[in-house]
Amino acid sequence: MLGVGLFGPLGPAPGGTRHRAAEVGDVRARAAGDPQTGGPRDGRASFSPPGPAGAPAAEARSGRPAGIHPASGHPELAEERQAWIVLATVDGVGERTLAGLVAAHGSARHALWLAARGRLGRALGGVADGRRGIIPAATIAGIERAAREPGARLSALAARGVWTLTLLDPDYPRRLLTLLSPPPVLFGQGDARAMETPRSVAVVGTRRPSPGGRWEAARTAAGLAARGVTVVSGLAVGIDGAAHAAALDAGGMTIAAIGSGHARPGPAAHRGLAERIRASGAVIGELPPDAHASRGTYPRRNRLIVALADAVVVVEAPARSGALITAHLALEQGVPLCVARGQEGAERSAGCRALLDEASAWPFTDVTSLCDSMGWRAVAADGSQEGGRPGRADPGLSPEESTAPGPPTATPDGHEITPLPPLGAAERMIARRLAGGPATMDELLAVTGAAPGELAAALTLLQLRGLARTLGPLYLPAGSLLLAVP
Amino acid sequence: MLATLVTAVVEGLQGALVRVEVDVAPGLPVCQIVGLPDAALSEARERVRGAIRNSGFAYPAQRITVNLAPAGRRKHGAAYDVAIAVGILVASGQVAASGGDWALLGELSLSGEVHPVPGVLPMVHTLARAGARRVGVPAANVAEAALVEGIEVEPLRGLDDAARLVAGPRGRRAARASRAAPVAVSGVIAAGATGSAPLVEAGPPVDLADVRGQAAARWGLEIAMAGGHSLLLVGPPGAGKTLLAGTIPGLLPALDDREALEVTVIASVAGLLGPGDGLRRGRPFRAPHHTASYAALVGGGPRLAPGEVSLAHAGVLFLDELAEFDRDVLEALRQPLEEGSVVVARAQGTLRFPAQVQLVAAMNPCRCGYFGDPDRACTCAPGDPERYVRRVSGPLLDRLDLRIEMPRVRPSELLLGPDPESSAAVAARIAEARARSLARNGGRLNARLGGRETVELGRLGDPARELLAAVAIRRSLTARGVHRILRVARTIADLAGRDPVDTGDVLAAADLRDPAAAARPGLAA
Repeated sequence: MLGVGLFGPLGPAPGGTRHRAAEVGDVRARAAGDPQTGGPRDGRASFSPPGPAGAPAAEARSGRPAGIHPASGHPELAEERQAWIVLATVDGVGERTLAGLVAAHGSARHALWLAARGRLGRALGGVADGRRGIIPAATIAGIERAAREPGARLSALAARGVWTLTLLDPDYPRRLLTLLSPPPVLFGQGDARAMETPRSVAVVGTRRPSPGGRWEAARTAAGLAARGVTVVSGLAVGIDGAAHAAALDAGGMTIAAIGSGHARPGPAAHRGLAERIRASGAVIGELPPDAHASRGTYPRRNRLIVALADAVVVVEAPARSGALITAHLALEQGVPLCVARGQEGAERSAGCRALLDEASAWPFTDVTSLCDSMGWRAVAADGSQEGGRPGRADPGLSPEESTAPGPPTATPDGHEITPLPPLGAAERMIARRLAGGPATMDELLAVTGAAPGELAAALTLLQLRGLARTLGPLYLPAGSLLLAVP
Repeated sequence: MLATLVTAVVEGLQGALVRVEVDVAPGLPVCQIVGLPDAALSEARERVRGAIRNSGFAYPAQRITVNLAPAGRRKHGAAYDVAIAVGILVASGQVAASGGDWALLGELSLSGEVHPVPGVLPMVHTLARAGARRVGVPAANVAEAALVEGIEVEPLRGLDDAARLVAGPRGRRAARASRAAPVAVSGVIAAGATGSAPLVEAGPPVDLADVRGQAAARWGLEIAMAGGHSLLLVGPPGAGKTLLAGTIPGLLPALDDREALEVTVIASVAGLLGPGDGLRRGRPFRAPHHTASYAALVGGGPRLAPGEVSLAHAGVLFLDELAEFDRDVLEALRQPLEEGSVVVARAQGTLRFPAQVQLVAAMNPCRCGYFGDPDRACTCAPGDPERYVRRVSGPLLDRLDLRIEMPRVRPSELLLGPDPESSAAVAARIAEARARSLARNGGRLNARLGGRETVELGRLGDPARELLAAVAIRRSLTARGVHRILRVARTIADLAGRDPVDTGDVLAAADLRDPAAAARPGLAA
């Protein structure tokens, strides 16, 4: 693959397809025209395309200086930034069109200025092959509408609580700059700094997982969260959802990269989950808020997942799964790929086995070995180094935690209610069995030899304490039981 | 000459007195039946003519008028055949009415044989209350008719028997009567019951000893049967939902006298009593197919017949493949489940059928059946399993007390492991627990307790009460949810012979899932 991105440096990237961080910084410096790093100021470096029909022609036509002038906070830069965002809210304007417009007209501001007067031409700049160098008429109409009311577009974003980051911003996520075609405008909700955490791992997989796969995803995400690693996924039902939820439950940071607009992030069943992620992580995407997901948006979203992660874990993927696209993108970008092999012969893990057999993926066993392979020492969620491993033999089941009366819960009217009874020996034994994976009540009966009533009571207690949950006939470990070493 | 006989009609589950007046007068040889007869009754004249001729009597070649009084009441069925035929014989002077007043019920065949009819029990009951002292009923219906006290019941095998009863010992002319040799028909058909055959009653109940694995589901079933709690079984195909439901008749105690009479009356009206069937003591277990219509399930139709929910009165109504039932039909079950009776309203008036049923339902977790299965992949699209569960009316799910999830049984469980308990052992525990709750609740099972009574009669110990409050707050339960757990906990304590309910009972009850919870979104998260 040729290392030429529309916003990237000219020519193939040295050192493989993934750019080095220093170079990334360089790119941004050039994009921002930062004088201190000596970025070129002619506007060619970051916005002009590789090819003859570039900025000079545009400059000649418009008589305006192309590109962005230095000094962040410069009023023109702020205006240009807003022009980018306004353009990005137009249906049909992606990173290619935006770059082409900037190349053809010198700046987004100028393109909008022309569009507001109905004089925006249909030709895109910087398109070498000319094949897709024409903007569809519908898109032109959309741009003209946006150009007449740019303020409304921006305030609509603000009203939704959507923030934006553009390639022009110094705080554009560094991780995304490693992409060959980073989204020029990133829309997000929640905490944008989630994308700057030093360690992050993507957990992806099928939308129709087995209970075992769901548990594997939850266990992995909880383990990562406990080590202070940010969990990245795609907010889809199935593995994605299990990973997000477990990371949140473990008090960790999680990022959802979505393939639709922020008005409808992910499936309806995940509205609540998206809300939780916004509160303690970030939901990001490159589509404007009202955009619908379509055939191509999910695969493109996957590249964001890969770019935001230091490693990708595929938990469960059948032979044809979107998670495999993510896996191949990871291989392409040189992001370490870990794949859980799954049950031998299980259809639901056929794609995983193919990755392991045919591609250079690591077999995924557990979070500890993954972190070891990445050279990560255990870090607590607050960033401080910790000597020990967070995985204990029976977390949540230590004598202090299990016999001490739980924190008293009060009713909304302030009436204090009784704490839950402490976990007894029987409950701890069941918990230890559950830590080894999902089990039906029949299996637990066979293992523990308890009477059904006693077992049911113990399971209720575990559920009330957040250590177990149910899925059909199965009981799944949850909370700190996910971190237990069986 | 005029003859008057007494017979009865069934409306709903109640009988009503009908007088049959027959007038044989000179005129053109026609027979006219008046008094709002239905088609089956209008055809009685053809059956009656054949039966009279083939019994050795003469059919009068005169004008015959049959009046069924009171004239304003609709009459249906063939139960009047015998009365009409004997009326004609008396009115034409072939039989002297010297044997006293006899009420007569029964359908005639052309050969003069008397066939059983549905609803004999309530009809005889009505006759007895109206003051009739003697009644002749089809021989196959004698057992049910004999349940009524204060009335002499004689079996009728043919029209000749009826003629002899009416003529009395001194009626010489009736002695002449005889029956034509019965036409040879296949014995099976000849001996069959009169009404629609029961759908699943065939065969003895499955013994729990034949159900391997599913220890958790067996436990849940025991609780449901002990407390009368309605139950939803959820599991993939082959988990044994239907098999487990098939053990229910063998787990329930026999009907008491009052219930037995109600059940027998309903069965009689529906024509479900076989020849020689007397009082029903076994609890009904009805399993209508999911294509059942509204009228079939709730009752009604042109004849205002009891529906499946009434046929299952005092027993179990089992709805297999709950999600496949027509939504409107299931909605119609809400009222009977709540009130214990069905009201069928028609232009002619309303009827009330008893319908105190314990609902047991079974369904797959999703369309393909494998959602949440540890081994097999579910082929449904994401979100489909929730949609599948939501096809079942939410208010109906709200009325179910327990949900038991049944995993697929592994082959190792089928072949290895200890032998499961037999139905007899479990039924003994259930009977004990039911006796305890009936004594405490004033003759009602725990499932029939209302909200406030649940709290009063539940008899919670203080620790259990506080724990239930803790569970309710942590799970944000509604009042219905709290009462549900309390009722089930009460039953678990009854099974163990514990009083008051302790914390373990409350926790165990809280583990049996809420049937309505599966329909809420977020299941896939």
